[in-house]
Amino acid sequence: MADQLLEQARDVVDGQIDFEGQKLAEVLQNVLLSVVGAVSFFVGFFLQDITLALKIGLAGTVLTFLAIVPPWPFFKQHPVVWLPVAGSSVSASHQNIVIDEKMLSQQ
Amino acid sequence: MYNSLTRLQNVFSFFTTVAFVAAMLIAMADLTIPRTPSVGTIKPTNVQVVKGRPHYYSSKKEEYAVIKFSLEADLSSLFTWNTKQVFVYVTAEWADTNQNQNKNETNKAVIWDSIITSPSSDHLANLGPATRKKLAKSTAGKSIDPSRGKLSIKNQRPKYQITHPTGKVAHTEDVTLHVNYNVQPWVGILTWNQDVDFWRWKKMARGVSKIFELPAVKKKDS
Repeated sequence: MADQLLEQARDVVDGQIDFEGQKLAEVLQNVLLSVVGAVSFFVGFFLQDITLALKIGLAGTVLTFLAIVPPWPFFKQHPVVWLPVAGSSVSASHQNIVIDEKMLSQQ
Repeated sequence: MYNSLTRLQNVFSFFTTVAFVAAMLIAMADLTIPRTPSVGTIKPTNVQVVKGRPHYYSSKKEEYAVIKFSLEADLSSLFTWNTKQVFVYVTAEWADTNQNQNKNETNKAVIWDSIITSPSSDHLANLGPATRKKLAKSTAGKSIDPSRGKLSIKNQRPKYQITHPTGKVAHTEDVTLHVNYNVQPWVGILTWNQDVDFWRWKKMARGVSKIFELPAVKKKDS
């Protein structure tokens, strides 16, 4: 029972996302942070206010962290479809997979 | 990017890169903002030479020059969004006239200095609570205060009394006062007053006073 709870906790903290989601996360990170950097520089330069530039930069960075680090649903739109184990017709998700003599069942 | 920890690490890493590039751009943009510092007047108003000791416990007695001066200057163009503070200092300079050595040596000693903070660093200035409140009110939330850098001091008592390594400064001839500044930015390199014009940064106009002499040691009227 404790094992199951631990497994669930680990999944939440782990925050795994699928491959398309990872690509999206990378692109989003580059775009968001570059835009934040550019905006903070130009706003600060034209208003001649460096504290404003710093505040915009830090606020934008925090928003970027919030948008990318947690495993949001839009990062999990394309989950990996595992093929059935060779020889059987049942899809992998209904089979018992044995790894290192420990029985793992995926439901 | 497959789990939260790696995403955290990657975003933070790119953030430091972006922050560094933005800081570089801010520092380089400084070059495009013109600097036109100028001095209206710099002149000694009262020069005395007195005898004193380096420390209260020293047995040696030395001669010290006390140079009171008046200064009118406009350093406001040095204050940009990237200026944290400007350090202004007045030096007294004279050539070494020691017969046995090269006459190329110049004696230079600071007689007075002051830190002028820009509004973005006023919270760091060495002021008490009352003065700080007054300063905040007069700045009224502006990021650049045009009155900063405009100096007008009359018959200022010097901060430092200067001497020569030999301990004798009386009767020194050809002494001049020089006004110098050091701009300390938020990001970027330190810059001092320059000897030549550099694109939009002009050298300071009229930063040197007329020649004066240090008089004889002041005799106490008994």
